[in-house]
Amino acid sequence: MANLATFEEGTRQLLMGNEAIARGALEAGIGFAAAYPGNPSSEIIGSLADVARDAGIYVEWSVNEKVALEAAAAAAFSGVRSLVAMKHNGLNVVLDYLMGLALTGTKAGIVLVTCDDPGALSSTEEEDSRIVAKWANLPLLEPGTFQEEKDMTRWAYELSEEMKSVVLIRGVTRTSHARGDVEIGERLPPARDARFAPSNPVEFTSVPAPFKHMLANRKMERVREIFESSPFNRYEGPVKPDLLIVTSGSGWFYALEAVRALELEKSVGILKLATTWPLPEKLVREHLSRAAEVLVVEEIDPFLEGNLKELVGEDPAGVGPVRFYGKRSGHIPAFGEINPDIVTAALARILGIEYRAVEPDYSQKALALTSPFTHGRIVGFCAGCPHRATFWSIKNALKLDGRDGFVSGDIGCYSMAVGPAGYFQVKTMQAMGSGTGMACGFGKLAEFGFTQPVLTVCGDSTFYHATIPAIISGIYNRADFTLLILDNSATAMTGFQPHPGTGRSATGENTPTVDIAMICRALGVRVEETDPFDLQGTTEKVLDLMRDKGVRVLIVKRECALVRARKEKPAFKMRVDSERCLGESCGCSRLCVRVFQCPALTWDVSQGVAGIDEVLCAGCGVCADICPAGAIIREPAE
Amino acid sequence: MMEKEPLNIIITGVGGQGNVLLSQLVGKVLVRGGFHVTIGETYGASQRGGAVMSHLRVSRQMQYGPLIGEGQADVIVGLEPIETLRVLAQYGNADVTVITNSRPVFPAAVSSGGAKYPTADEIASAMAGLSARSWVVDATDIALELGPPILANVVMMGTLVGSGILPVGAEAFETELRESLPAGRDGSSADRLAMNLEAFRRGMAAVAP
Amino acid sequence: MTTEVKGGLSLRADVIDRGLCAGCGACVGMCPYLVAYRGRIVALDDCAVEQGRCYGFCPRTATDLDEASEAAFGAAYDDAPIGRVAEVLMARAARENVREKAQYGGTVSALVAFAIERGIIESAVLTGSDASLLPAGVLARDASEVLSHAGSNYVAAPTLAAFNREVQREDVRRVGVVATPCQALALAKMRASPMENRNHIEKLSLVVGLFCTWALDYSAFAAFLAERTPLERISKLDIPPPPANVLQVIAGAEKLSISLDEVRRFIRPSCNVCLDMTAEFADVAVGAAEGIDGWNTVIVRSGRGRELVEAARAAGAIETDALPEGNLSHLKGASLGKRRRALANIRAMTGSDDDLLYLELRPETRRKLLAHGPSESK
Repeated sequence: MANLATFEEGTRQLLMGNEAIARGALEAGIGFAAAYPGNPSSEIIGSLADVARDAGIYVEWSVNEKVALEAAAAAAFSGVRSLVAMKHNGLNVVLDYLMGLALTGTKAGIVLVTCDDPGALSSTEEEDSRIVAKWANLPLLEPGTFQEEKDMTRWAYELSEEMKSVVLIRGVTRTSHARGDVEIGERLPPARDARFAPSNPVEFTSVPAPFKHMLANRKMERVREIFESSPFNRYEGPVKPDLLIVTSGSGWFYALEAVRALELEKSVGILKLATTWPLPEKLVREHLSRAAEVLVVEEIDPFLEGNLKELVGEDPAGVGPVRFYGKRSGHIPAFGEINPDIVTAALARILGIEYRAVEPDYSQKALALTSPFTHGRIVGFCAGCPHRATFWSIKNALKLDGRDGFVSGDIGCYSMAVGPAGYFQVKTMQAMGSGTGMACGFGKLAEFGFTQPVLTVCGDSTFYHATIPAIISGIYNRADFTLLILDNSATAMTGFQPHPGTGRSATGENTPTVDIAMICRALGVRVEETDPFDLQGTTEKVLDLMRDKGVRVLIVKRECALVRARKEKPAFKMRVDSERCLGESCGCSRLCVRVFQCPALTWDVSQGVAGIDEVLCAGCGVCADICPAGAIIREPAE
Repeated sequence: MMEKEPLNIIITGVGGQGNVLLSQLVGKVLVRGGFHVTIGETYGASQRGGAVMSHLRVSRQMQYGPLIGEGQADVIVGLEPIETLRVLAQYGNADVTVITNSRPVFPAAVSSGGAKYPTADEIASAMAGLSARSWVVDATDIALELGPPILANVVMMGTLVGSGILPVGAEAFETELRESLPAGRDGSSADRLAMNLEAFRRGMAAVAP
Repeated sequence: MTTEVKGGLSLRADVIDRGLCAGCGACVGMCPYLVAYRGRIVALDDCAVEQGRCYGFCPRTATDLDEASEAAFGAAYDDAPIGRVAEVLMARAARENVREKAQYGGTVSALVAFAIERGIIESAVLTGSDASLLPAGVLARDASEVLSHAGSNYVAAPTLAAFNREVQREDVRRVGVVATPCQALALAKMRASPMENRNHIEKLSLVVGLFCTWALDYSAFAAFLAERTPLERISKLDIPPPPANVLQVIAGAEKLSISLDEVRRFIRPSCNVCLDMTAEFADVAVGAAEGIDGWNTVIVRSGRGRELVEAARAAGAIETDALPEGNLSHLKGASLGKRRRALANIRAMTGSDDDLLYLELRPETRRKLLAHGPSESK
């Protein structure tokens, strides 16, 4: 079956936006791709890893985005076109190197794709990466269609090499994770003459910085000229519109559909910009001068909006009076993600048009008929997830210990322990590795009267990514905390990508395993190990560790339920003996469904007994150990 | 077969039910049929037991955006009843076609909090009251007769095709199934294909007039 | 008058979180929510039941002393200074080896061992402790097991958790309990409880009570002692009668004397609101005989208690003698003193004469109790 590397030129394929970007990079002849998984960007490098052999390229999952960018830059410095992809948090991680790279430049083309997550659908915070382009003064592209995601990525390499500069491409969830049909182009082979040969002593450094800064600024003037005539910037609408919509990225589809929904094709024009830093100033001024009212449609921050206003500010007379609407005016929310309804409503409100997408009668009827039933779903651990068992033990251990201990949390599936899924045990959460970083602080507060035991958690992938330096800092500064490494042999939340502990590379080869327990022991701290499904043993170990001093590590080891399910059949067959089930009565009070809350545990209201949903049950057997009546029967599966 | 411009399809369910796979399959068949297709998906953290939604836009003329506006769905296919009702309330209209699998996935509010899960009658009448055509299909039961429960999404694909609202017929879908199920050297892959085809046909039969 | 029984959440709010928990263990062992851990009663999760046995059995939730007395003795509460009395006497274990091991006269061990040997009970729930002085309920099935747990360490023990647990076993039938006053009250409340009896309270055949002025909180007290001597070396704790005002700690060859003034801060706050010094809800209650070395004061309260004491005396398991009048009046004074202090502390906590905290008394009983007069709070 054809794949991303072998699709025939000229065919139309249904591609995810991320796959389109990957294909664009392949068509440009990249040889090197690196990333750390992070949604909505994971499939860019993920899909390249799947076809690396067919494409004859090198693809890796690096331990974090900083290393990924550094490795990719090395390839580019050596004449091999390279691609790095990350989510917005990853951009935060690479900033230090990126600033240096902006002044250094490159030899072969290097493109950095940053995928934002408006509305934080797969993230713990939302932020707009585009500002980094302005901050570092680098070219920024925002493809608006799936075809553009491919074609602009391919073109980005030409731009990158002409300007000898890294080029940024920004996507969002609705461009990255959506799918659309794309026409496939020709694929170039990667360079095979890699060589690192600086032509002067500082060619691949950022020094002398002010001089290189001046050169970089000059480059951007040239980029601006190129952007002026880019075919990816487009205008649709009347010559002199009553209102001009200026948009980029995902905003374009929404603007298009809003104009259609309100039947304003004759009076509203849409300027779609795909090159948004530096702005193609002449083009933009041209269109701004033909409209008195402008609505800016973009995701997350008023980046484009602010830059347009700066532009006007530089030469107000040249453009004439313009009134701006957008996030600053409150017509488009300045938080969360936008959608066609938001844009339509904004347009209608500005132009004073009455518009209702849904008949009020239908809305009312829908509310009446469905609202008693459309209960929200909590995002939680899968059936059989080791984290549920781990946080159950942590909860009990903290309660038994009685000194008001708590967990400083981190990023991964276990982040959900902030909520009911993990019994609200995780109390802080900001960034990869920050759980242990914060524990280094909490663990030094004894002299200020602090008496609470400090626990912190991180996953196996997070451990390699960011936690190691924090552990070392804690050891060196003699902080008191217990780190629980939740080793489920997966970078689970982002899609089960391999990492240094799994023994497998991005492209499926066997690799050396970097053993977490060995590293911790080598650091010289007390290291214990436990199986989270042993609830009693884990609780006792946590209690014991909490009574100790210094940095302590508990490796909580059991494979992710979903990873396991791909390889093995369930270990146990579970059922409820309804005769023994105490249900709501004193002595149970529905412990399994009400408190433990595995999604495979069901409650029969009419019979007043618990049950097992066979479709959802992973057969892990843990619920049998928490039932006070021994009513949950655990039998080995055939 | 209707050719609305664009045709707006929403496929919804709970994470882990194969919602994304189903929408991809449908999308591929339509692209092969020469249509522009855009699929917008909400997944990621929502995979962990949360609601999942795929918005499909189908058009002869041009590409549309990945999100359908409120009240603009033409057909809603749900792998889980509460999700079907949720999507119907937000994206439905008097002309919509809605089909749901009958098998519940209980939200925490029901299993732990004592909230009520709607009865089969409540589901059916809510759907009937908010659509032009509606069906409740025991897709998981059918799947379990044939093999693993995840086959329910192929059954539901059958119902979508059987409803007649797509501009492409059953044959194109069967072709896609044949091509997308990986070929193996042993008989098991042939069995797997047969199982999927049967699931698809049973789905079609479930909504036949 | 039937007191209102609430659920686990109320137990936490009304008792545990208010610092009134006696640590008796009556609420533990019936469900997964409440456990005893290192001297504390811990709620691991919130129970949603509206009426729970934990609340119903707890001696610090709504308590009607008449109801409890009717369940224990078939008669209303007797507000006499040392409670309901059938007979008061002195006693000691007949066997020297029992007296050596035990506290004062060894009467409790002798009575319980005799009760098992005679078949009055098949087993008994006592309080034992581990090498770090952590007390817990244990089930003793013969005389030697009974003797092995003799002695007191003055620490509050969740002994009833063991009772709740052991009565579930098929092979545990007629069982006795050696109980502190709060534990004896809890057992009486279990007998009185209108809730469905999944606690097999009908198996309870004998309650031997212990006099108690106060009990110490384990964690803090153990840490305090551990600073002075390794806990594993401690073989006995003893508080000699006033005016000594010391706690004697025997650790191997060493004998430490610690001023009680230093120890009193570990008294559980619950003891400050306890009215009962002489285990008024036991069948027979046993304590020291002040000034009379090697003898116990024994108060017989019920028919069951009288039968046991008489049979034990007749069989030569115990020796008895009359209790000197001075001892009796001194005992009454001390008991009344504890009651008055408790009532004063209760009124200080509630700020009102009408709110007696956990005591929900019938009007006549309330009048009689309060008539004994106030005392300074402790």
